[in-house]
Amino acid sequence: MKYLRPLGFLLCGLFAWLPAGAAEQTLRVLAWPGYADPDLVSVFEKRFKAKVEVTLVGSDEVLRAKLSENQGGDFDVIAANTAEIHRYVNQGLLQPLHPERIANTARQLPRFRDYARIPDIVVDGQVYAVPYAWSDMGLIYDRKQFSQPPDSIQSMWDPRFQGRVLAFNTSNHNFSLASLALGGDPLRISAADFPRVADKLIALRRNVLTFYSLPEEAAELFRSHSVTLIFANYGRQQLKQLRDAGVDVGYVVPREGVLAWLDCWAISKGARDMRLANEWINYMLEPDVSRALSERQDLSNTVQEPVDASPSNRMIWLRPVEDDQRRAQLWQRIVSGERPPLVEVR
Amino acid sequence: MRFGIAFKLGCLMALFGMVPTGLAGYYIYNSSREMLLQAAERDLLTSVQVLGRNLHSSLRNISLDATVLTNGAQVHELGELTNPATRKTVGDNLAESFRAMLLAHPDYMQIRLISATDHGLELVRQDRDGADIVRVDGADLQEKAHYAYVFETLRLAPGAVRISPIVINHEQGAHSGLGKPTLHVSTPVADAAGKVFALLVINVDLDQLFSQLQSDLPKEYQVYLSNRWGDLLVHPDHRRTFGFDQGRRLFLQDEFPEVAGLLSDKAPGSLISRSVEQGQQDRLVAAFVRLSHNGDAEPFVVLGLGQPQSHVLAKVSRVGNSIVQIALLFSVLALLAAFIASRALIRPLRSMTDAVELFSRERKISVLAPRDDELGVLAHRFHAMKQEILGQLDDLTSSRAAFEHLARHDPLTELPNRRMCFERLEQALIEAREGGKKMALLFVDLDHFKEMNDQYGHRFGDQVLQAVAKLLTTASDGADCVARLGGDEFVISFCDVKDPQKIAALLEKLHQCFQLPLFIDGRKVQIHASMGVSLFPRDGDDIGTLVQHADHAMYKAKSAGRNRYLFEMHSSD
Repeated sequence: MKYLRPLGFLLCGLFAWLPAGAAEQTLRVLAWPGYADPDLVSVFEKRFKAKVEVTLVGSDEVLRAKLSENQGGDFDVIAANTAEIHRYVNQGLLQPLHPERIANTARQLPRFRDYARIPDIVVDGQVYAVPYAWSDMGLIYDRKQFSQPPDSIQSMWDPRFQGRVLAFNTSNHNFSLASLALGGDPLRISAADFPRVADKLIALRRNVLTFYSLPEEAAELFRSHSVTLIFANYGRQQLKQLRDAGVDVGYVVPREGVLAWLDCWAISKGARDMRLANEWINYMLEPDVSRALSERQDLSNTVQEPVDASPSNRMIWLRPVEDDQRRAQLWQRIVSGERPPLVEVR
Repeated sequence: MRFGIAFKLGCLMALFGMVPTGLAGYYIYNSSREMLLQAAERDLLTSVQVLGRNLHSSLRNISLDATVLTNGAQVHELGELTNPATRKTVGDNLAESFRAMLLAHPDYMQIRLISATDHGLELVRQDRDGADIVRVDGADLQEKAHYAYVFETLRLAPGAVRISPIVINHEQGAHSGLGKPTLHVSTPVADAAGKVFALLVINVDLDQLFSQLQSDLPKEYQVYLSNRWGDLLVHPDHRRTFGFDQGRRLFLQDEFPEVAGLLSDKAPGSLISRSVEQGQQDRLVAAFVRLSHNGDAEPFVVLGLGQPQSHVLAKVSRVGNSIVQIALLFSVLALLAAFIASRALIRPLRSMTDAVELFSRERKISVLAPRDDELGVLAHRFHAMKQEILGQLDDLTSSRAAFEHLARHDPLTELPNRRMCFERLEQALIEAREGGKKMALLFVDLDHFKEMNDQYGHRFGDQVLQAVAKLLTTASDGADCVARLGGDEFVISFCDVKDPQKIAALLEKLHQCFQLPLFIDGRKVQIHASMGVSLFPRDGDDIGTLVQHADHAMYKAKSAGRNRYLFEMHSSD
């Protein structure tokens, strides 16, 4: 009996220490603006007695750089689109997850639970991500300047709108757009087609007012430079922002198809606490949280169908492109103002 | 531990000395701390305003440089020149002036003349490339119409200057300027008819511009700069700058919340703020000023100068240290003064106490140093009181001695009385027993004393008794005690009788003395006495038995006819 007492004390101490240790648990979230709003985060923090460190990124490139910086060791959960997920899996930056351990996946729309048919998130039979938000990148147009909504992405090259088109400052989407405008495969540009697509992009450059980066910037330019057409990189999110600013704008899905992304939550290879990471994803799929995402960000969630669902046959889900480095290098030169023909030194 | 009045008094005095010093020190410290903090804030505010003015004047100078370059020879005709050779000459001249300008200003990274047409094709371009100035020419010239510094400038009137928001220059082929935080200072160029056909852009390296501006500032000052949304552009921590360029916006107002007012509100142009991010220990105190360009309502940048509060407080703590030192010094002085004062007061008191103690212990009156103050008076009074006490004590002792004498002596004959006699006998008996000595007890009773008293009166009897006492005392030398037991009875005792014969001789001597007449009051009187003796240890072991034995012996003598003595001598004696 004499030995039991210190043991008891030891156990008590351990139990007293454990919750304290858990309280210091930190979940490091790498996400896009609007995915981890402070109020939603604080609810999670209170419920799981954890600290959540949210790092927001504004582009795939930054997301990529941040995640790979320490081989995924700097973050626990990340939000990325399917194509990026696939890329990260290939780079070994993510670890497989188990949707059955995330109870709220049962609430998702069936097409977001049919993992085999969602591009890129199943690799070698392992599920790596859980869909969370999706959006298509249509065109926003000024209703005052169009009697009829533009129905083709060719409008971005329309000389009538020269200096009044806003495109987005990104390599992959712009190459995809140009390829699509040329009637090609947006995600698989053959090596031989690159000069043609690059020329098409130079033509785009010559027709746009500028290539914007932040939605606020686009909104400001829209008002100050009587912009007619915006490539809505931020989807309906951007539409909402403009409408909130009091601008009469419409949104179209061009007939050539629309690039669409599906953002998923995935768990980094370097995640410290799998349980907490799963709880985070589970929490994000709660109807209230997912609805908050749609209401606040005008992104579609995976729990309920959007009000005006895009015709699914025009959706081009983003996937890894044929050669993003080539696209990026060329894009840097194009956006810097190089004149055709672009000679590639390869 | 017992705290004496000296200690208490000293403490009280020290307290009176130290508390005001401490309080004064504290208040001086507090007010000087407040003053120094305010002074530091004022300094910061002044410095940031000066820095802002310097930035303004730097920008004005850059603007002037831009307009000067646009006013160069033939620049205005460039738009209308069709002859390629002339165009080339004008372009070369312009490139030369660009080059000269770049050489003169190390913070200029690039100077370009950009066409308003041809999708913003660069017409003349000089780049800084490390130590060299490079002319970019021919196919390397780029189209820039989609950059804000082009399309925004082309909307301006000739002569107006646009200062762009600060961005990181990602334009390929920008040589040294590539990847640098850059400010584009641009101005439209119009032809003779006033039609804008081009613009001139100077790329300024923000880092160099600021290192120049900062060079005059004290080292501990930290410079902050944000754009009009609060995005950090210059920050002591370089990693925090240009977050928007990496998709992560870091705002100045997150670190200094008050700055939000500068960004939105138009009222105050400058303010003081304290950082919230760092630990409470080393918060930054910073002054911010909103700089607008050409009187625009919207801020162009917010400029700030920060200083760790600890740095300001270090000065305060220096002041505090000297205040503490002064306070300590004065406290020590107060302690010393208290010590000396209490000593000065306590020493005469203590010597008085000593004098009283000495007096009560040894009945001695010590002489204290004379003083004129209250303590002197007190000492004098003590002295007088002690003398009075001493006098009274003497009286008391002498009267007590008289009482004592009276209690133990016969007042008539001055001989020890019965009480004293028996006390002495008891004492002598104890000594005799212990020492194995012999004692002798003589009983003397006057014959016919009562008749004599009746015949001549008591006064005469008293005189007889006095005479007999004298006789016994003088005659019985060697006797330890001659006492009157009462009436006409006397006792003579010997404590150490070596030879009983001597007693017998004394008895005989006394008997002979009684045979002579006494002259009393002019009268000749014949007094006789009967005497008996007892010996210790022969005749008894205690005083009672011995007295009884002697008494019996005396009565036997009386019975035998008076005027005789009875002393039984045994052979063993």
